[in-house]
Amino acid sequence: MREVAVIFRRELKSYFVSPIAYVFGVLFLAVLLLLALILRFVPLDNGAQASLQGFFWLMPVVFLFFLPGLTMRLWAEERKTGTLELLMTFPVKIGHLILGKFCASLIYLAVVLALTLVLPATLSVYGNLDWGPVLGAYLATLLLASAYIATGMFWSSMTRDQIVALLLGLVTLLLLYALGFPMLLEWLAGSLPSWLLDLMNGISPYKYYESITRGVVDTRDIVYFTCFCGFFLHCNALVLQARRAKG
Amino acid sequence: MLPTKKLPLSGGSALATLLHVLVLFVIFGQIVYLASRYRLRFDTTSDSMYSLTESTSQIIGGLDKRLVIEAYLSPKADLPSQLRDTRTVLDNFLDELVQMGKGKVVVQRYNPLDDKAIQQKCERVGIKPIDAQSNTTSALEVRRHWQGLRLVYGGDRQKIIEQIAPTASTLAEAQITPAIKDVITREKKKLGFMEWPSEVTAAGGQPPRGIGWNSVRVMDAIARRYEFQNLKDAEGALIPDEIGILFLFRPKDLSDREKFVLDQFVMRGGTMVVLADVVDYSIGQKRTFSRTPMALDEKGSEWSFREQLLCYGIDLKDQIVADLDNRAFSPLNAIESYGFPTQLGMQSLRSGYPYFFHPQAFDWKQEADRLATRNGQKDVEAAADFKARFRPGIDSDEFLFQSFKKFGRAQCFYWPCWTDLRRGSAGIDLPAGVTGKVMLWSSPMALVEVPPANLDPFSGADVKDRGQKYADFIKKFDERLRSEPRLQAPLMVDLAGNFPSFFAGKPRPKKPSEIKEEEAAKKQAILREEEMEKAAEANPALVKDADKIAQLPDQKDADKITQGPPKQDAEGVTEAAQKDPLPMLAAKAPGRIVVIGDSDFLRDDFVRGEYQQIGGPASLYGALFFGVMLDWLSQDSDLMSLYAHQPIDRKLQLLAVDPGKIEDPRDSEKRLRSKTNVITAINVAIPCGLLCLLGAIVWLIRRAQKRAFLAAIGN
Repeated sequence: MREVAVIFRRELKSYFVSPIAYVFGVLFLAVLLLLALILRFVPLDNGAQASLQGFFWLMPVVFLFFLPGLTMRLWAEERKTGTLELLMTFPVKIGHLILGKFCASLIYLAVVLALTLVLPATLSVYGNLDWGPVLGAYLATLLLASAYIATGMFWSSMTRDQIVALLLGLVTLLLLYALGFPMLLEWLAGSLPSWLLDLMNGISPYKYYESITRGVVDTRDIVYFTCFCGFFLHCNALVLQARRAKG
Repeated sequence: MLPTKKLPLSGGSALATLLHVLVLFVIFGQIVYLASRYRLRFDTTSDSMYSLTESTSQIIGGLDKRLVIEAYLSPKADLPSQLRDTRTVLDNFLDELVQMGKGKVVVQRYNPLDDKAIQQKCERVGIKPIDAQSNTTSALEVRRHWQGLRLVYGGDRQKIIEQIAPTASTLAEAQITPAIKDVITREKKKLGFMEWPSEVTAAGGQPPRGIGWNSVRVMDAIARRYEFQNLKDAEGALIPDEIGILFLFRPKDLSDREKFVLDQFVMRGGTMVVLADVVDYSIGQKRTFSRTPMALDEKGSEWSFREQLLCYGIDLKDQIVADLDNRAFSPLNAIESYGFPTQLGMQSLRSGYPYFFHPQAFDWKQEADRLATRNGQKDVEAAADFKARFRPGIDSDEFLFQSFKKFGRAQCFYWPCWTDLRRGSAGIDLPAGVTGKVMLWSSPMALVEVPPANLDPFSGADVKDRGQKYADFIKKFDERLRSEPRLQAPLMVDLAGNFPSFFAGKPRPKKPSEIKEEEAAKKQAILREEEMEKAAEANPALVKDADKIAQLPDQKDADKITQGPPKQDAEGVTEAAQKDPLPMLAAKAPGRIVVIGDSDFLRDDFVRGEYQQIGGPASLYGALFFGVMLDWLSQDSDLMSLYAHQPIDRKLQLLAVDPGKIEDPRDSEKRLRSKTNVITAINVAIPCGLLCLLGAIVWLIRRAQKRAFLAAIGN
């Protein structure tokens, strides 16, 4: 695990010394919070419920557009600048490389997300906010973010071009998220067999995320997100393994 | 999980890699599937909103036979989006029931969508289809779906839930658990009631309201467990022994005989619940509230009902209560508001109306210091007095109030009257052997008065003058608040014990038939006397017999109730009177009396929302209060935790409210807007600013490191 820690530290440092990470973070926070407050996903009104359900409903939608941007450079940049080949020559296992990068991205995002705690803190000043579901929802958000990062990393490893990685990541995440959307499932109900609809619903992170954000931490949902990350990280490893084998 | 060695597949064909990925996908899919079958859940909500309550486990634990739940459900994949989520909730709930039942609960699923025979069975047993609109790739169509349950207990008892579409597990539980309770309950509990509906015809050509209290009695959740029997009898018959609980809905024009019947009911250990009013206001044209004549006692009655209650230890005053605390009289929900007609239709008055208020789940002792402070000066003596006197608004730990405590307020009272325990100079003065408690109190900002003739906050003014009139209306309260002492008005009392009889030492009130018979007998006697006089005139020897008649004992004396042994049938006591058992002059068993100083919150037009259509409020929690009260009175606590399983009120209070000050809504709107803008700005600026600050610190550190490094190279 020492190798993972070394790579993790290196990656995390690269986030925090880069001005782009701050620009990304500020943009993400500004868009998320402005949308939540101005479009009244979090209604600030006398008598409104002190709840962040709307905020956490909005979160995956904002993630869709920001997280592929965060992950697009993870492998694509290494390939473009030629450092990937150098990395491959290091006495480090590919799994460690992937885990290091994955954890660094996740921690960076967790730091940015932690700054949004100002919002629940404000609500708890003006109302009796239930912190249990809020913390549960933050856990769900981190799990969803890890799934998105794993997917984004996979696409970043597939291409040299960051824009292509971004677009592929965006489309994949959009598709996966939409698969669980009840309106879409209903719309497709007439033309697709029910087993396929059930499968689509089962694959999509939508229902698992929604289940935790309401305040119920279910082992099923955690297992799902773990498997989701495991699948894409493993695919990522397969791609890198193939490149190392090619030389 | 991650490959650490060079995989043999990695250098192989694309097909092999694809197969590898597919196998991986299937393995992970299986893991997720198994995880969904065997799972652990942690409900992180502080009010356990997603966990089954103790009620369900208690009822399921008490099953002595097998409960079969036949679930008639269309396949989930065919359901439109609005029903799909409800299915997930329902499936989860049924799974939990099966686990909890440990073999005693069985769920059998049927798909009526594809099977005509099952569809016919649905029709036969009473499962109703749901017509739901689906928007598919090919069409926008309305399809028929089934989502209903049939509960069969022990093979012979059944209960149908025609349609069920719960959006949350609490709602599934609220519907299914009482149904289970219903199917396993052998007999309905019998309750008696007497009601005195208003016959007021509202002014201004509006239809008569003809209010009663039927809605709450026939509500499904109540009617399936309790059977109400109307015991208001013109003949004044005594309450049958099978009735243990008797409700009086707004007693008025009570005859002496009715009072006697109630007394005898309490003497034999019955529970009497009085929903009392001392005044009624009708809505007239231009939204006026005019007092309607109403009296507790029938004209010409000898005994007063108020005196009777006082004898039992209850002080029902002829005074109505207004509560000037902002929290108490401000409606939380638009349908609870007092309305007024405008050109755009009925508008609700968000500022509230002090005669409609909620007792607060709040200990008013905490407000003692604030209320004892005037012009910045605290009156220490007054503060100490307030701390000693003030009580919590909901002053009871009974399960009747558990859910209301969660809401933060009890049900709304409408023109309530002062309902207290009997007090003497030394404090509470209850009859020997009786204990009692005031359960609900207004805030200390209460004002009490003899019901005025008109309580219109706008004084019938036109739209343009309404603001001013309302301000004047409130100003009068402000003036009174400044000059009158702070007090809390009691609104509900509960007493139990061996009550003294109000009719001890008093003559037994006669039944109407007895009175008629007596009158007829008197007439007959007069006729007879006249005939005898005529006969005497014709034959003087008959005068001796007439003297004998005059010596007969007086009817009133014969009926006089004394503490001594019962009298034998006296001459002149009618056949009807003989059917009355001997009056009970002392309690045979401990009885119970609950008096609530309002009946309007359960009135049909308040509960059904009809009153709202002419500008009144709707009673949002009246029916809930009544339902829980029935269980509370009959000591059936099975569903207690289900009733109490209500979400905690988590309303935002962005603006500090001065309970004693009534603000112009436009000003408060302006203040709210500006506060919202500040909060939005802070919530966006602080996180972004913190991140920028972190960036700046990192940049400064790196610059310092760089300079140090360059300096080191230069050296």
